[in-house]
Amino acid sequence: MTQQEKKAAAFRQGIIVLIVLAALTAGEFFVARSLNGPVAILFIFAIFKAAPIMQYFMHISSLWSEEEGH
Amino acid sequence: MSAITTSLAEYRHQLKSNRWGLWLFFLSEAFMFGGLLTSRFYLWGDTRPPLDQNLGFIVTVVLLLSSFFMNRAETAIAHDDRKNFQLNLIITAVLGIAFLVGVVGFEWQGEVRPTDGAYGAVLYGMTGMHALHVLSGLIFIMIVFFNGRKGHYSAERHWGVEACAVWWHYVDLVWVFFYPALYLMGTVIHP
Repeated sequence: MTQQEKKAAAFRQGIIVLIVLAALTAGEFFVARSLNGPVAILFIFAIFKAAPIMQYFMHISSLWSEEEGH
Repeated sequence: MSAITTSLAEYRHQLKSNRWGLWLFFLSEAFMFGGLLTSRFYLWGDTRPPLDQNLGFIVTVVLLLSSFFMNRAETAIAHDDRKNFQLNLIITAVLGIAFLVGVVGFEWQGEVRPTDGAYGAVLYGMTGMHALHVLSGLIFIMIVFFNGRKGHYSAERHWGVEACAVWWHYVDLVWVFFYPALYLMGTVIHP
């Protein structure tokens, strides 16, 4: 894979994460509106939003991986 | 010895320690944000003050978008694409300012005042502490932007950019939990 292709793939991954986060944010908004703010369900939404942020945006796995970073 | 003069091997070794240091700092910050979140549930219970849910949704989307553009900026510099790096950093900063304006400029001018007992205290405590972190992130972005213009970062060496990006995403991560706790959970009570 060339550098250009690697960059394009990384940008694509960012877009996918954004779409997932947007869908979850819209989902929690409508669940809160229609079910009168159920705490447990909204916490589950928050955890599902936090996971991709930590994995793909904050690169938490780089703490343990042997791969040399930048 | 400066980062410029160290060998790439030394730099990469140091990087691992830098990352752990930053995440340990996040852990210490999580205790403070966790304390604020706990106080919300202890003092508000299954209620919430009359905040504008549409405004909350908009500022949340703005912050998520800013995280997306910050990720693009980091990806760009990791591939030596300086033009996209600078552009995405500026977009991130503009969105961060828009978030601050939404919270401080609009939400803080709403119905709930800091003097409104537990509702005011928790709302201003949580949004104020978070806004302070957004502000520090914006200052960090500006420092990285000007360092980038001077050519301080490359695909091989850009810990400054990575730290700034991870810090910004952390601020976003905190808001992922604060947003539903403030705007969505519980039934509305007029303090």
